[in-house]
Amino acid sequence: MGILSLTIFLPLAGALILLFIPKEKTAALRAVGVAATALAFLVSLIALFLFDPSQPGNELTMRLTEDLAWIPSFNIRYFLGVDGLSFPILLLTTLLSLLAAVYSMNIQVRVKEFYFWYLLLETGMLGVFCALDLFLFYFFWEVTLVPMYFLIGIWGGPKKEYAAIKFFLFTLFGSVFMLLAMLALYFASAPHTFDMMALAKAHASFSREFQIIVFLGFYLGFAVKIPAFPFHTWLPLAHVEAPTGVSVILAGVLLKMGVYGILRVCYTILPAGFEWFLPFFVIIALINIVYGALCAMAQTDMKRMVAYSSINHMGYAMLGIAAVSSTGFAGAALQMITHGLITGALFLLVGVIYDRAHTRDINAFGGLAAKLPVYAGLMSLTCFASLGLPGLAGFISEFLCFLGAFPAWKIYTSIAVIGILVTAAFFLRMLQKVFMGPINEKWAGMSDMDARELFAVVPLAALTVLFGVWPKLLLDMMNPTLSLMARFFPDMFQGLR
Amino acid sequence: MTLFENVHWIALLPLIASFVILFLGRDDSDKSLLPYVGITAMGVCLIHSLLILKGFLFGGFKPYYRTLPWFSFGDFEMSLGVLIDGTASFMLVVVTLVSFLVQVYSLAYMHGDPRFKRYYAYLSFFSASMLGLVITSNLFVFFACWELVGVSSYLLIGFWFEKDGPAYASKKAFITTKLGDLGFYLGLMVLFACAGTLDLNMLAARAQMGPEYLPQQTAALAGILFLVGAAGKSAQVPLFIWLPDAMEGPTPVSALIHAATMVAAGVYLVARTYFLYAASPLAMDAVAWTGLATAVLAAGMAVVAYDIKRVLAFSTVSQLGYMMLALGAGGYTAGLFHLTTHAFFKALLFLAAGSVIHAVHTNDMRQMGALSKQMPSTFITMTIAALAISGFPFFAGWYSKEAILHAVWLRSPLMWTIGVLTAALTSFYMFRLIFLTFLGSSRDAHCCEHAHESPAVMTGPLWLLAVLSVSSGWLLEHNGLFASVVHFGAEAAAHHSEGGLHAAPAWLPWAALAAFVSGLAAAWRLYAREDLSLAAGIKERLTPLFAMLENRYGFDRFFLMLVSASDRLASALAWFDDQVLDALFIDGWAVITRAVSELQGLFDDLFVDGAVDGVGIVTRNAGWGLSRLVRGQVQEYMLYAALAVSLFATFLMTR
Amino acid sequence: MTLSHYLAVSTALFLIGLFGALTRRNILGILMGIELMFNAANINLAAFNRFLHPSGFVGSAVAVFIIAVAAAEIVVGLALVVAIYRAQGTLYTEDIHLLKG
Repeated sequence: MGILSLTIFLPLAGALILLFIPKEKTAALRAVGVAATALAFLVSLIALFLFDPSQPGNELTMRLTEDLAWIPSFNIRYFLGVDGLSFPILLLTTLLSLLAAVYSMNIQVRVKEFYFWYLLLETGMLGVFCALDLFLFYFFWEVTLVPMYFLIGIWGGPKKEYAAIKFFLFTLFGSVFMLLAMLALYFASAPHTFDMMALAKAHASFSREFQIIVFLGFYLGFAVKIPAFPFHTWLPLAHVEAPTGVSVILAGVLLKMGVYGILRVCYTILPAGFEWFLPFFVIIALINIVYGALCAMAQTDMKRMVAYSSINHMGYAMLGIAAVSSTGFAGAALQMITHGLITGALFLLVGVIYDRAHTRDINAFGGLAAKLPVYAGLMSLTCFASLGLPGLAGFISEFLCFLGAFPAWKIYTSIAVIGILVTAAFFLRMLQKVFMGPINEKWAGMSDMDARELFAVVPLAALTVLFGVWPKLLLDMMNPTLSLMARFFPDMFQGLR
Repeated sequence: MTLFENVHWIALLPLIASFVILFLGRDDSDKSLLPYVGITAMGVCLIHSLLILKGFLFGGFKPYYRTLPWFSFGDFEMSLGVLIDGTASFMLVVVTLVSFLVQVYSLAYMHGDPRFKRYYAYLSFFSASMLGLVITSNLFVFFACWELVGVSSYLLIGFWFEKDGPAYASKKAFITTKLGDLGFYLGLMVLFACAGTLDLNMLAARAQMGPEYLPQQTAALAGILFLVGAAGKSAQVPLFIWLPDAMEGPTPVSALIHAATMVAAGVYLVARTYFLYAASPLAMDAVAWTGLATAVLAAGMAVVAYDIKRVLAFSTVSQLGYMMLALGAGGYTAGLFHLTTHAFFKALLFLAAGSVIHAVHTNDMRQMGALSKQMPSTFITMTIAALAISGFPFFAGWYSKEAILHAVWLRSPLMWTIGVLTAALTSFYMFRLIFLTFLGSSRDAHCCEHAHESPAVMTGPLWLLAVLSVSSGWLLEHNGLFASVVHFGAEAAAHHSEGGLHAAPAWLPWAALAAFVSGLAAAWRLYAREDLSLAAGIKERLTPLFAMLENRYGFDRFFLMLVSASDRLASALAWFDDQVLDALFIDGWAVITRAVSELQGLFDDLFVDGAVDGVGIVTRNAGWGLSRLVRGQVQEYMLYAALAVSLFATFLMTR
Repeated sequence: MTLSHYLAVSTALFLIGLFGALTRRNILGILMGIELMFNAANINLAAFNRFLHPSGFVGSAVAVFIIAVAAAEIVVGLALVVAIYRAQGTLYTEDIHLLKG
């Protein structure tokens, strides 16, 4: 069993162990749940030492691969592997899963089920980022769906059922088209295969029209996940209703599946389709950025605001991809990681205050900075990271996205910087209303963060600072792959260069 | 050259100090030795900077440039690096010196504040970012530090965040400068798209190689975009609106950040990227006109303000405009000279104002008056600063203003005229401030009777700065010392020699002196007496003008309108997202789908299921109908059988 | 005596039997009518054997079979009649209509 399989299935093993523990023993259940995620994280750290980011040659070299026949009669394989694009996200996934699992130890009802679904979800997410066989990819993609449905639907807020069903249907809507597109690729390839690497090599054999149609199928599936306008409306709702830990996973990892898919599938297998769609794609990115930011500015619910800011931030990643240059790709890939860290921390922090005040209304607070200095400090740091303050991770990734996109899309990029201003505006307004001004006496007895909360948030804040100061750590891992990917189609995307 | 090899420590030392102060110590009000950590770090940096400056002035130092790869992305690399030239060395001294003095001064001024420790952490953090900005060789790092000084400014303006005023002002300052930063941000992209690097040295070399390496349009575009950034940070028209509000912060902070250093960063940016402006007359003109407009408009606003700090804030805006004007007129050296001298006397003005506020606990000059006896040190030092800023001969400001007006005259006499007018206004409002505060009669006994001189930690820095305000101009102008170190390449030299052809007339310096005297005289006439009715009378007669000035020409209202418009847009979009896109289109799909499935259900019930049921019903009914024929009479059956047989037989036979 | 004479007799006999079977109200009468029709058939068999295949005996043999079967049939029939009488208390067909639809 390879190290990737081990990482993917450790959470599943944990989930199975949970089944044998009586549901009254909540302490044991929590311990197993956290231990499984911690083990997966450790194993992925070991994989970090085995992972070689270099990319010799002109074709993508996958690392830590595992290749077994799964359903030989249909040429479906159990084919795993990572490269500089997927491996950092894999690490992010195991890290966020661990931290959110720790944070979720405050879940009181149906603990056993919670961790069962949670661990199953983690297996699905890890699988998506490792799978190199489209069928396997789809399999893991759908595996994430059901646990998420229950996690929102059972442990969520007041409108949890509505949110859960909306999330479920929306995603399913997208993935149905993705399935069709996959099958189309399968039958168009000769010999029939689901192997992404083989399909990427065969991209020239697919006609332009075919690629466009198949692209649209995949795009629908990924756009819902990103979420790209106008398929984003499930997100604010799902984020607001989901319990804190699940919001973290949702924003930190699940959204990345969409962006990752665009790069991994749409771009490498269907370049002609992608080229055709690019003018629309960049406009959607722009809408995501400006519209997402403006919508966020109008929110008074902190969690909803952060949710809309995610739409905005994913817009940056889309803009970076639309550049089809190594700089833009580096920005997009980095943005995925930094957004995961920063927004993960933001959701945790919003959860912290919600646990105490049972409200997330920005206007309900005031002057908390004097009362909760640690919380105010971490929240300010994270908000500043999210609005792209230098020295914090978000700045580098945003800048690279813009820098990459600017030569290709001057006007759109110039308009998109408005998003930065609006983001700054709403985060600062939130900080002002919650932490500054006269203290609201209602919360005079509020306590600062406890150990569990700090354990979940501080690593994220520390990494945000680390990658902001020393982005080389991540970029060196990503760069060879992304530079190679940007060079894949020298005779295409001419208008951008 | 260990001085240069360790130059990065000038930025890193305060950074470390800031974290030490922030994370050590028991609580925020900690009055242990922690503040001295910051002061010591800044003292070391000051000495280091002074040594570098000494090397440049007397040791024949050449500009020092060193880079170190930071991270690479795609096919490019971003580097960390230092670029120390004469300009940077002066800037280093200005920043470290003012920072050091302000930190010392704050020991007394902030004494007893519940967040004393944190105040020092913020100050050190600010100094670190500002010094990083000064020494960096890379525009990207420059921008990063630029943003970090912005956030330090945000934290320090909002230091007393329990009050609504500072909370609001800090946000306003950050957002307004951020608006300008967007220009800077885009400028970086324009340059990078053209040159593939953001290293100042490489860009300058490129600019030198000629327009095929740095096209004029690119230079103009980048230059103007950088100007937008500089306008935000250096409070130029129309983005100056945040600076008056920034006075909500502690007064030493105003002296350090909003008078001497951070607000000069915009000017410094233009100076650092001067090769762009040299390559593009259009960008140059934009700088000059922006500076000029700022200088005169801000001076007008200073005339009507009554808050002592706001007068100084408008004065800062005006003087920054002066610097911009100088740079835009080709007076690179003059602009930076003024930056240096201005830093000293403006910091002094603010610190002296802080001393006054510390004594009387109000900012309103209408409540002050006749404080000269109670606070002699403050009075004398502040008067020296006022003389310096107004251009009293042989004080620091006189030299730098002279240099600017000279450069501007060479560019355009019209600009020069407005510049002189601004100088007259400067002299007027400065002495209005001095007279209202220190002379005349005590207008609010409650405030003034307990006023007393500040302690030595506060007056010490005042006196030091006063000495510099008097002497720095002469020291630096003497023998062309400043110009020998701070100049812009061959380009500027050409400018000067070209200017030499039609040299300025000899009466030029006298015009500035006349402006100073007239301003002083007018202020004396109106404000230096117990009876202020004359000033009130003038205000009465010029109400519309005063109203316009007090409303800051409507810029604030314009931006507030912009803010509320974007708020409304945001609300509309959020409503659209929630009620139209989500509720109508997305949930609409759900409603439609459900309606369709209801219909399908109905169809299923009526037609599909009905057909199946129908077969059963028909069969049953047919069976029932047929069974009527069966009457249970065995002989009937037999008859039917017989008939059937006979029919069959008949059929067989007739076939 | 030609075949036609025999056939005429057997036809008459059959029709009498049929008439009896269809019109008698008593089950016993119906059984008798059926016996008549059997015998009409027997006459036919014997006559066809005599005139069409004088050397053969299949027709006569079948006639003997029919006599045997008829005997068996009448036994079963009378048993049923007894049973019906016991159950219904009547032998008139219009009163026996259990199978009425």
